[in-house]
Amino acid sequence: MTDDSQRNFRSVYYEKVGFRGVEEKKSLEILLKDDPLDIEKLCTFSQRFPLPSMYRALVWKVLLGILPPHHDSHAQVMAYRKDQYSDVLHALTVVRFISDATPQVEVYLRMYQLESGKLPRSPSFPMEPEDEVFLAIAKAMEEMVEDSIDCYWLTRCFVKQLHSKFRDSLPQLPKAFEQYLNLEDSRLLSHLKTCSAVSKLPYDLWFKRCFAGCLPESSLQRVWDKVVSGSCKILVFVAVEILLTFKIKVMALNSVEKITEFLENIPQDSSDAIVSKAIDLWHKHCGTPAHSA
Amino acid sequence: MAQLANIGELLSMLDSPTLGVRDDVTTIFKESLNSERGPMLVNTLVDYYLETNSQPVLHILTTLQEPHDKHLLDKINEYVGKAATRLSILSLLGHVVRLQPSWKHKLSQAPLLPSLLKCLKMDTDVVVLTTGVLVLITMLPMIPQSGKQHLLDFFDIFGRLSSWCLKKPGHVTEVYLVHLHASVYALFHRLYGMYPCNFVSFLRSHYSMKENVETFEEVVKPMMEHVRIHPELVTGSKDHELDPRRWKTLETHDVVIECAKISLDPSEASYEDGYSVSHQLSACFPHRSADVTASPYVDTQNSYGGTTSTPSSTSRLMLFSPAGQLPQSLSSPSTRLLPEPLQATHWSPSMVCGMTTPPTSPGNVPPELSHPYSKAFSTTGGKGTPLGTPATSPPPALPCPPDDCVHGPSSQATATPPRKEERADSSRPYLQRQQYLLNDRGLEDPPASKGSVTLGNLPDFLGDLASEEDSIEKDKEEAAISKELSEITTAEADPVVPRGGFDSPFYRDSLSSSQRKTHSAASGTQGSSVNPEPLHSSLDKHGPDTPKQAFTPIDPPSGSADASPAGDRDRQTSLETSILTPSPCKIPPQRGVSFGSGQPPPYDHLFEVALPKTACHFVSKKTEELLKKVKGTPDEDCVPSTSPMEVLDRLIEQGADAHSKELSKLSLPSKSVDWTHFGGSPPSDEIRTLRDQLLLLHNQLLYERFKRQQHALRNRRLLRKVIRAAALEEHNAAMKDQLKLQEKDIQMWKLSLEKEQDRYSQLQDQHDTMVTQLHSQIRQLQHDREEFYNQSQELQTKLEDCRNMIAELRVELKKANNKVCHTELLLSQVSQKLSNSESVQQQMEFLNRQLLVLGEVNELYLEQLQSKHPDTTKEVEMMKTAYRKELEKNRSHLLQQNQRLDASQRRVLELESLLAKKDHLLLEQKKYLEDVKSQASGQLLAAESRYEAQRKITRVLELEILDLYGRLEKDGRLRKLEEDKAETAEAAEERLDCCSDGCSDSLVGHNEEASGHNGEARTTRPSGPRASCGGRSTGGSSSSSSELSTPEKPPSQRFNSRWETTVGEPSGSIPTTVGSLPSSKSFLGMKARELFRNKSESQCDEDCVTGSSLSETLKTELGRDSGMENKTPFNLDASHPSSPNSDSVGQLHIMDYNETHQEHS
Repeated sequence: MTDDSQRNFRSVYYEKVGFRGVEEKKSLEILLKDDPLDIEKLCTFSQRFPLPSMYRALVWKVLLGILPPHHDSHAQVMAYRKDQYSDVLHALTVVRFISDATPQVEVYLRMYQLESGKLPRSPSFPMEPEDEVFLAIAKAMEEMVEDSIDCYWLTRCFVKQLHSKFRDSLPQLPKAFEQYLNLEDSRLLSHLKTCSAVSKLPYDLWFKRCFAGCLPESSLQRVWDKVVSGSCKILVFVAVEILLTFKIKVMALNSVEKITEFLENIPQDSSDAIVSKAIDLWHKHCGTPAHSA
Repeated sequence: MAQLANIGELLSMLDSPTLGVRDDVTTIFKESLNSERGPMLVNTLVDYYLETNSQPVLHILTTLQEPHDKHLLDKINEYVGKAATRLSILSLLGHVVRLQPSWKHKLSQAPLLPSLLKCLKMDTDVVVLTTGVLVLITMLPMIPQSGKQHLLDFFDIFGRLSSWCLKKPGHVTEVYLVHLHASVYALFHRLYGMYPCNFVSFLRSHYSMKENVETFEEVVKPMMEHVRIHPELVTGSKDHELDPRRWKTLETHDVVIECAKISLDPSEASYEDGYSVSHQLSACFPHRSADVTASPYVDTQNSYGGTTSTPSSTSRLMLFSPAGQLPQSLSSPSTRLLPEPLQATHWSPSMVCGMTTPPTSPGNVPPELSHPYSKAFSTTGGKGTPLGTPATSPPPALPCPPDDCVHGPSSQATATPPRKEERADSSRPYLQRQQYLLNDRGLEDPPASKGSVTLGNLPDFLGDLASEEDSIEKDKEEAAISKELSEITTAEADPVVPRGGFDSPFYRDSLSSSQRKTHSAASGTQGSSVNPEPLHSSLDKHGPDTPKQAFTPIDPPSGSADASPAGDRDRQTSLETSILTPSPCKIPPQRGVSFGSGQPPPYDHLFEVALPKTACHFVSKKTEELLKKVKGTPDEDCVPSTSPMEVLDRLIEQGADAHSKELSKLSLPSKSVDWTHFGGSPPSDEIRTLRDQLLLLHNQLLYERFKRQQHALRNRRLLRKVIRAAALEEHNAAMKDQLKLQEKDIQMWKLSLEKEQDRYSQLQDQHDTMVTQLHSQIRQLQHDREEFYNQSQELQTKLEDCRNMIAELRVELKKANNKVCHTELLLSQVSQKLSNSESVQQQMEFLNRQLLVLGEVNELYLEQLQSKHPDTTKEVEMMKTAYRKELEKNRSHLLQQNQRLDASQRRVLELESLLAKKDHLLLEQKKYLEDVKSQASGQLLAAESRYEAQRKITRVLELEILDLYGRLEKDGRLRKLEEDKAETAEAAEERLDCCSDGCSDSLVGHNEEASGHNGEARTTRPSGPRASCGGRSTGGSSSSSSELSTPEKPPSQRFNSRWETTVGEPSGSIPTTVGSLPSSKSFLGMKARELFRNKSESQCDEDCVTGSSLSETLKTELGRDSGMENKTPFNLDASHPSSPNSDSVGQLHIMDYNETHQEHS
């Protein structure tokens, strides 16, 4: 690749020695310099390295198709998106679905519902599980992204990707989780099985909401980097790692309810480590995506 | 009891003549005293002493230690109360007190003191009073703090006794009164010295009374003339005087000296203040005296070296000059020589021994100590007289055996012989001078002495001797000596007296005295009796005139008293002698020894010791002072009032004189005869008087001795100071020496410093010269350097030139090289050409040869030809030319063909490259197109999504609007219900069917009826609400305006139901709803259209294609209403959203180069 010549030849050694993220920012900048952005490369990069937070929104937008790969059309497209956002918002305001007092997350949800045509007849209608998922993700996204337009679009496209791209793979994740947990720690799995908790683990929280509301946003966005870039398997490894990290506590708990309750409310302080380990584990089991895949 | 008896035995043994027994018993007593605590032994001892007057017992009693003091004091107190034993016990107390026992402070608390005071107040016996007063005076400085309690008692006693002196109550002898007067005088001094304020106030109060005025005038006033103003009178107060703190720091002798200081009486006064001055002045005196005496007495000194008797006599003369004054004036020298030893017995013990004995604890001083003392004495140059003296003689008060007494002087004599010799040398002339003086005086005095007949006139008579009395005390003695010296000087100055005349007889006398001494005093009298006849006569004259009756009775006892020791009698036996023994006991043995062995009299060294250099120095100083006095006040001799002391002294002297006179009448050997022989049995009361007198004298003596001891103490202390000062001086001198040495050092250092400085300056100079040299060198070198620099610059410029030249040359060289190369190249070319030309030449040659060969061959062939067929040549030639022409033609044709080929080939190449370029361009174009396409597609997608969103929005809005319509309609229907209740029965049924068919969930059951009414109303009159219904239905289903605008279209509830189905099937119906508008004809439709025109107009135009299909659906729906319903139009509807997509894709694909190509292909 022509980009490689511009990259620092030492970057390989940095990784060997254990310095991560030294060259990533630079290489990402190089990637972002291409005029028609290479989506593939961005995907690979995002899967391989954690994204620098200053480029995360941009990369996600590109990966999720909110922005086209061409830099020239970014402004125009973004203007479209903005118009669309304001139109929808306006329409919702007109039909009095939302008001100024409506929480932003719900606004996003209503907008999403409107755009997908699932807007209920009345705002007082009960939420469906799908909507709850959306709300959780939107909430997490709201923490990550400042701009409300960006936030809405990212949430919308993220959820859409979950529904479209991972529609088939998501139901497979619990099985994969069981498999990898067995590889990593069979005793824990057997303990869960004896507790008959395997089927009752919070899979919805883990895989449907992609840990939104489970992990703090700072570590969650690192997981979502991978999800956005097209790999939903990372979710499995995060789940495995959570179990491994809190193995002692989980082993100490015997009832299904308690385990579930604990896993739904895991302590947040070690989340960074969990995510880092999970990513390592993911790389270990699925192999590091080739640099120039 | 046995012990008592034992004690009695021991006591008797105490007085045993053997010394050893005495010592043993004494030690036994001391031990028993140490061991026993009871009062018995002390009491026994006191009793025994009172009985026997035993000396050893007295010794024991005076040295009693602490626990026994109370008993002793009690005992004494007891005996003081008894009149009989009072005198003796008082004398015992005096002995005890004078030794200053360690418990002396207890005296003030003891009951003895009040009883003593009482006794003094009450008693009428003069002897007791005198003794008691003396004891009191002795005690006073020891217990100064007791004054507080007993002060008034003291003053009372003083007042009483002073009045006694005048009033003479009873039959008191006048002689006693002299003693009493003296003691009162002493008491006056003491009281005034110790308690001036109180005392003065007492005097003021006491003598302000009329009855006492006389006493004051007669007795006290004269006393006051002898004291100066006490400083305490100015600074102190009555209370302050009595303050014990005042006395705390003062010792006994301090108090005594304090008292002496305020005395103007020369016999009492202390000259301590001037003492330090004497050191400086002292040095000159011996020289002067030596100068004065040297010439006349050279021979005498020589003679003294061998003989010893003369010095003794002269010394005695000198020493007893005050005493000898009278005899001199009264009797001849011959007689005067005789009484000398007798006088010596009287005076010398007290004087010589007193001078030389240590005042305190004399018994403890071993004789050996004299050695160090004498050494010190000899080394210190005579300053330490008082120091040296104590060791030389045993205490006079000590009743020691004669051996000891002998030992003392002898050891002293042996210890300090060298010193003594010098001393003798220096002092003898001086002493002799004194003798002469005495002689002079003897000549001069008679007229004056005649005047002094009575006791009252004695002061006048002895006016010139005022300062010479009381030779016991050292100061006094010195004063007397100085007085004499002063008189010597005056005598020297006075040429009236022919000295030589007196010198010679005395000289002879002294020379002959050696022989005289060896034999007896008688021989001396014989020898000396020749000269002083006039003196004798004067005495004779004097005798009858004076009221000698008063004195004569004294003479015999005094003479006897003197005689008894002189004759070496047993003193133990007689009570008087025993009393006297303490003082004279020493002298008799000495004299005896001297007499017996023929040695010089022991006074000699004693005297020398007593008059050491310091004394001499002091004397000299005093002399000077007195000289001044004499010159200033020549009348001083005639002091108007004499002190009681002097009176007493004179009395004693007179008594002595009388005694000596009596003795002189006797033969010498008769001295040993019992004195009763010479006067018969004396009257008993006279004897008593004499005894009392003796006793009084003794007491006086003891008191004076005590004073002397105090002075000695003081002297010691002063001496210590002197020694210290001397040491300090020496130290000073040493320091000065050191200072000098250091100064020398400093000077040396300075010298060396100067040297160093010189050297340094030299070095500096050298250095400077060096520096200048170096500077000049540097300058030179710099100059050189500059030259060199210039040279080098020149050289450099040359070098530059050379370099330039070299460069030029190089360039030239290069050029030349180039030329060479060029030429070489040319050469090689030329050589090649040459070789080529050579090869060409060779070829030419070859070709020429060939040409030649061919020519020959041709000629041959021609020949052949000519020879063979000459006719065909034409034809051949023709053919040949034809051939040639043909060949040329072909050749040119070929050439043309080749050229064409080349051109076409080139053309092909060009075209091919062009083609490649075009391909490339095309590719780029394609890429670009792709790019743009993707970009556009991205944008399009965004726009699409926006569009989608818009559609959704519109849908939602439409929904909302429909909802609102529904509500409005409901209201309208309710109104119609009221209007047309009756006319809608069948229609209602029909509607009901329809409703049951389609409308199920969204519209309420209540609506069904309304819709039924609606349907009927629509059928009947297609206006107003029907229009609204139609609008609603069209808004829900159709997007085209043209078709929907037909008012005939039956508005039905099926639309509603269809609406519901479309809602339930969003994917199909959503696109159709977007951009749809309500019918323009209906009122609400118009409004809605107006509302959404801005947004959806363009879409409406775009979707005109779909509009037709929509109209069909409407038709089908209508058809379904009539039963021929089919759902196909919905399919059409459903296909609609995909068609524009495909259209758009197709449109996009048109852009694609390849696809268009494919399409085209």
